Amino acid sequence: MLSHGPMSPTVSIYRWRPTMIASLAHRLSGLLLVLFVPLYLWLLHGMTGSPEDFAAAFDWLHSPLGKISLWLLGVALTYHFCNGLRFLSLDAGWCESRAMMRLSAKVVLGIAVIVAIVLAVLL
Amino acid sequence: MKLTKEPGSARSGIRDWYWQRLAAVVLAVLLPLPFFLIIAVYTGGVDQLGLLDLLDHFFSRLLHTLLILALIVHAYMGLKVIFEDYLPQIGWRVTLIGSMLVVMSGFGIWWLAIIWAWGG
Repeated sequence: MLSHGPMSPTVSIYRWRPTMIASLAHRLSGLLLVLFVPLYLWLLHGMTGSPEDFAAAFDWLHSPLGKISLWLLGVALTYHFCNGLRFLSLDAGWCESRAMMRLSAKVVLGIAVIVAIVLAVLL
Repeated sequence: MKLTKEPGSARSGIRDWYWQRLAAVVLAVLLPLPFFLIIAVYTGGVDQLGLLDLLDHFFSRLLHTLLILALIVHAYMGLKVIFEDYLPQIGWRVTLIGSMLVVMSGFGIWWLAIIWAWGG
């Protein structure tokens, strides 16, 4: 056991702030996206196989599980993409003030919510 | 504050940090493409012949190869940081990070084999 110091983002100690939610959501969406890599390969494998394989992959995409997966993938990807750009800009030293960091965290979270609603309507 | 040398697997934090960002930039450009491809198939905008035309192309193979390499680098570093933050037990860390490396390399090789076999 490493006994020195608390674990890094100590959820139970820090106050919930947009910046903290943005960081945790980045990890969560990242974990989700890792799970979608095998799914993408499986889909590609099916879609490039026989016409029956393609039809099976197509039908799976239109099944409830397929639609939920597409929705989750879309939301996780949008969020991780936008917040990733936010992190890169922070690394570059842009918008580093506390107020700007909170504002940009709210903006990326807001974009993810909008995309979640739009995808839910469209899919 | 006392500085402690944590038994993390990164020898230098800067190097990991740099590779994580480099892979992030590659992924920011490439990762949306597979999503749009799947959406195009979902909506019926691209049928199987259209999809094969897109994929059976040197450029598509090259982009997929870059994508999987950047994905492995980025996902490996990202998951490693999460393990190091939330798993205080060294045994679990080493086991999970090690198996992650094995699974990801195997997966990457499988992926590359499939990509370069298209239409061949």
